[in-house]
Amino acid sequence: MQPILTLSGVRKSFGDAEIIRGVELELRAGERHAVIGPNGAGKSTVFHLISGHYAPTGGRIHFDGHDIQGASPQHINRLGLARSFQITNLFPKLSVYENLRIAVMRRHGVQHTLWRFIGGYAKVREETEQLMELVRLAGRRDASAGELSYSEQRSMEIGMALASDPKVILLDEPMAGMSHEETDYAVELIKTVTRGRSLLIVEHDMDVVFSLCDRISVLVYGQVIATGTPEEIRNNQKVKEAYLGEEAAA
Amino acid sequence: MQSKLWIPLAVGVALLVALPALLSQSLVNAAIQMLIAALFACAFNLVCGQAGMLSFGHAAYFGVGTFATVHAMNAFNGAGLLPTPLMPLAGAVVGLLTGIAAGWFATQRTGTYFAMITLALAELMHALAPHLKGVFGGEAGISAMRMPAWGLGFGSSTEVYYLVLAWVLLSLALLYLFTLTPVGRLTLGLRENSQRLRFLGYDVHRLNVTVFAISAMFAGIAGGLQALNTESANYVLLESHVSAAVVLNSYIGGVTVFLGPALGAALMTFFGYAVSDLTRSWLLYQGVLFVLVMMFMPTGLAGFIRWVGTARRAHGTVALLPMLCAGLLAGLLLTAGTVFTVELLQRFFSQDYRAMAALNAGAGWAPIALFGRDWLPTAVATWAVPLGLWAVGAALVRATARLWHALQERAEPAETPTAQQGSAL
Repeated sequence: MQPILTLSGVRKSFGDAEIIRGVELELRAGERHAVIGPNGAGKSTVFHLISGHYAPTGGRIHFDGHDIQGASPQHINRLGLARSFQITNLFPKLSVYENLRIAVMRRHGVQHTLWRFIGGYAKVREETEQLMELVRLAGRRDASAGELSYSEQRSMEIGMALASDPKVILLDEPMAGMSHEETDYAVELIKTVTRGRSLLIVEHDMDVVFSLCDRISVLVYGQVIATGTPEEIRNNQKVKEAYLGEEAAA
Repeated sequence: MQSKLWIPLAVGVALLVALPALLSQSLVNAAIQMLIAALFACAFNLVCGQAGMLSFGHAAYFGVGTFATVHAMNAFNGAGLLPTPLMPLAGAVVGLLTGIAAGWFATQRTGTYFAMITLALAELMHALAPHLKGVFGGEAGISAMRMPAWGLGFGSSTEVYYLVLAWVLLSLALLYLFTLTPVGRLTLGLRENSQRLRFLGYDVHRLNVTVFAISAMFAGIAGGLQALNTESANYVLLESHVSAAVVLNSYIGGVTVFLGPALGAALMTFFGYAVSDLTRSWLLYQGVLFVLVMMFMPTGLAGFIRWVGTARRAHGTVALLPMLCAGLLAGLLLTAGTVFTVELLQRFFSQDYRAMAALNAGAGWAPIALFGRDWLPTAVATWAVPLGLWAVGAALVRATARLWHALQERAEPAETPTAQQGSAL
């Protein structure tokens, strides 16, 4: 399979501290790929580098025929890469509907439209309603995003990432703080919505990772020490030492 | 909710239309000022309340609108392409262009840095204006004449009032309709979380410039109306206190409600007109009022009115009445006490009084005339008046708070706003 997203030798320093020290990562088209690793390994930073939040200090990020290292977030999003955030990142005082509608609107090219009312876009309304159903928030349509429960906000994060109909989705700990039932639903949801797309996910819940993902990369101290199928990772000696061993000790 | 608003809105417009028949000439002039200030505040609030960017230099866009309109009045003489009633279009165009240029720089940054850049740009223009005699007319300013057009003379205040009213209503309607467009909805996203917009694929800087320019355009229209009203423009229009006033007016009115800033600006302009002849301490009162509003009702007058509305629905008008009356009375007493003290002190420390005291040295402190009576600054009775007013006022504030708590306990679950908001002024 062709890789759709490739990171080669990606580095990032903050002052003297080098957090990402030459990451090599390959996301194949259509696969679901998890990034795991102990706390502080730099998983979120890698996501920030891919999505344009930070510019890497060195290395290359290649996405779908474009070099995107250092590109702006909106440029990367328009190429077809969307992300969710680990820390909930919504429009807190706007309603659920309005949040999702803003996310949907982009694809309909109306961001400079001053001569038509938003209510007149039937397609935008339709898609927003569908998205709201999909992430099970239709019952909370008029609640402001800030007053949603934590897990509802997590669902909305997934919904907002989906709204742009991306080729690649980056989900940063989407299940954190969810109950078992909610996690199960979210896993099914992610399986459904990533059909025909590629997924890169950071997740701590190993059950989720092993049941959801085709391949796993293990990130330790800013470097990928292993990549492989869940089975390979489970049996990898380096991973056991560096990651699983550490977790067992802690 | 939305449909119910039509009734007060229609009544308000009808009242504005009927106003000149009911008021004296000088009050009509004040009303013109109020309308212009209201439009300016609403234009400002597009950037401030809706997009969440605090601009400290909006006088610049109001000012260029005034200058552009005066130039247009001189160039067209009220005939040809731009007859007198359409003159504010000159202000709109120049406001828009200035807004695009200034907005492009200012919105490179957010928060404090944005505020500083807008302030700097306005100060730059203010400093430059007296030196550009051709454009700004130097220190003397420039002037023009309102020419008759469309069969109207525009000689009387009433005619100017209706012209200004038409423009203000049209502009406010357009500003409201803007909030219903895609860009209008995204403007709220700018305020809430501009970083997230970026990750959803939006060009935030372009959006910022658009919003800023539209705001500047309507500020330019307000400036143009000012030019039509006063038939002149002077570089003092670009002074920072004009920028500060629109910020204060908007917050006092309430930036979270569409018409809040209009309300605040109209009221403060009226107070300025009514009170500035009576007292020299008007600016002090304005400042105190602003601080109190920010402390006790941060959502402003409009927010307070909305709060009363929700409280009425929750508890019923009758149950609410004693509390509102107590609060109102407390506010009046505290205001009276404060005004008394300020006015007395202002007269006591005035140069005239000092000179008198120095002349009549040894004769003791002369009585001060205030509110139709003479007050001895050394008499206990004089100072007992404000102290008494404050004491009763403070007691009433506590009573108001108690009434409110009692109401809340009776009607669990509690309402969101605090008791302080209920008792404030």
